[in-house]
Amino acid sequence: MIHLDGVSKIYGNGCVALSDITLDIPKGDFVFVVGPSGAGKSTFIKLIFREELPTKGKLIVNGRNVGELEPSEIPYLRRNLGIVFQDYRLLPNKTVYENVAFAMQVIESSRRDIQKRVSHVLDLVGLRHKAKNFPGELSGGEQQRIAIARAIVNNPVVVIADEPTGNLDPETSWDIMRIFERINRDGTTIVMATHDKSVVDAMKKRVIAIEKSRIARDQVKGVYGYED
Amino acid sequence: MKIRTMEYFIKEALSSLKRNGLMSFASVTTVALSLLILGMFLVMVLNLNNMASTLESQVQISVYLQDGLTDHEMREVGTRITKIPGVVQVNFVGKEEAMNRFKERLGEQQGLLNALGEANPLPNAFEVKVDKTERVKAAAQAMMQFKGVENAKFGQEVVEQLFALTKMVRIFGLVIIVFLALAALFIISNTIRITVFARRKEIGIMKYVGATNWFIRWPFLLEGMMLGFGGALVAVLFLNETYGILIHQVYETLAFLPLIPQYPFITNISVVLLVTGTVIGALGSTISLRRYMRV
Repeated sequence: MIHLDGVSKIYGNGCVALSDITLDIPKGDFVFVVGPSGAGKSTFIKLIFREELPTKGKLIVNGRNVGELEPSEIPYLRRNLGIVFQDYRLLPNKTVYENVAFAMQVIESSRRDIQKRVSHVLDLVGLRHKAKNFPGELSGGEQQRIAIARAIVNNPVVVIADEPTGNLDPETSWDIMRIFERINRDGTTIVMATHDKSVVDAMKKRVIAIEKSRIARDQVKGVYGYED
Repeated sequence: MKIRTMEYFIKEALSSLKRNGLMSFASVTTVALSLLILGMFLVMVLNLNNMASTLESQVQISVYLQDGLTDHEMREVGTRITKIPGVVQVNFVGKEEAMNRFKERLGEQQGLLNALGEANPLPNAFEVKVDKTERVKAAAQAMMQFKGVENAKFGQEVVEQLFALTKMVRIFGLVIIVFLALAALFIISNTIRITVFARRKEIGIMKYVGATNWFIRWPFLLEGMMLGFGGALVAVLFLNETYGILIHQVYETLAFLPLIPQYPFITNISVVLLVTGTVIGALGSTISLRRYMRV
């Protein structure tokens, strides 16, 4: 699903974020990406959805060579990816329902499909009863659940999450994790950068540790491995 | 493009126009003023051109005679004129006939002439037709040398002056129009820039969920085009109204001035203005989209 072959990322200012990364994430995997701040986790995430371009090496996401995508092809790559951010990124002047429906509107889905899918994913994150509320009226955990609903509403093959529980308390973080696990069970690949030690340790998923721009560890049923 | 998507674009553009009410108003006003001036220059240049060509088609030389010539002397001048190469027709127009013609041309305003009393300041004259336009100038100059001739005027002079005036108006107008078009372009692109800025979060999310660049651009492009078209519409309505009034006034007071009739003349100019306004709007938003959206 995601395949990196000798991928490096060097920013314009000479900062080496990733050097010579080779790894393979098969379909249906649940992967935690861990490591100290500034080690390259975020860059790794950004490469996958083509926010950044690899400087060297080959990166294949869902069968597309990301490094060689034309700018006009980027939207079609992203339609197969769901992206979740630490800061939710919901639109404050749209309701919960409109926020989720927005992701389907911009790829020109039909009105009927939108109604069906949005209700379905709001059910899945347990917030259908808040459909008419505005994001400002929800708690942080609820907002992140809406953001997840938006990320999966277009049936992506991969969900990418950059510190999705970074702003949440432990109990709420577990609610969020259970939703990700449920999505993963339905066959969606999950790649998550995180600092949440207890979550990583308890879930026993694949753990990729990035330190000083290189892969330091790649364990099946791994642990967080750092003191906070 | 689906109809639903088009609806969405138009809705987005309209709500954005409303949200930036003051900037929208400023843009429309600037475009309206610029295009109004463009329209006025067009009306002026085209009318001057029209006058010049109307006059050009009736080139004849008017030879004015000095006062106090005897009949014999006048006949002498007439004979000499007929001998000039190219002259095909010579008509004598006496003082009285000249006065009658003048009265006719003034129409309802002949009353003005009452002030003259019995006096007739108009000279005796010959009207001379020449076979080719190129020969007019030389012929007129020759006649000017004849004894007893006060002056020889021909339409060509007026025509040339009119063309010169047209040229000046055109150059002057062009400078102003370019300047105003740039101002309109600037203010529209500024309005769109503000819109883009106000919605940068939304644009970011659209990109993450896979909206194509054109999907993101369309509402802004439409907004710019609406601003340009709106401004043009104001200019067109105003121009149409004022030209109507102008024509009316001219027919009543200066009937001999050959103005181009209102329709379809103003309709054609309106089309030009509306298209120009819309293009300026589209260009203005394109500039902002390229500079501030990176899409």
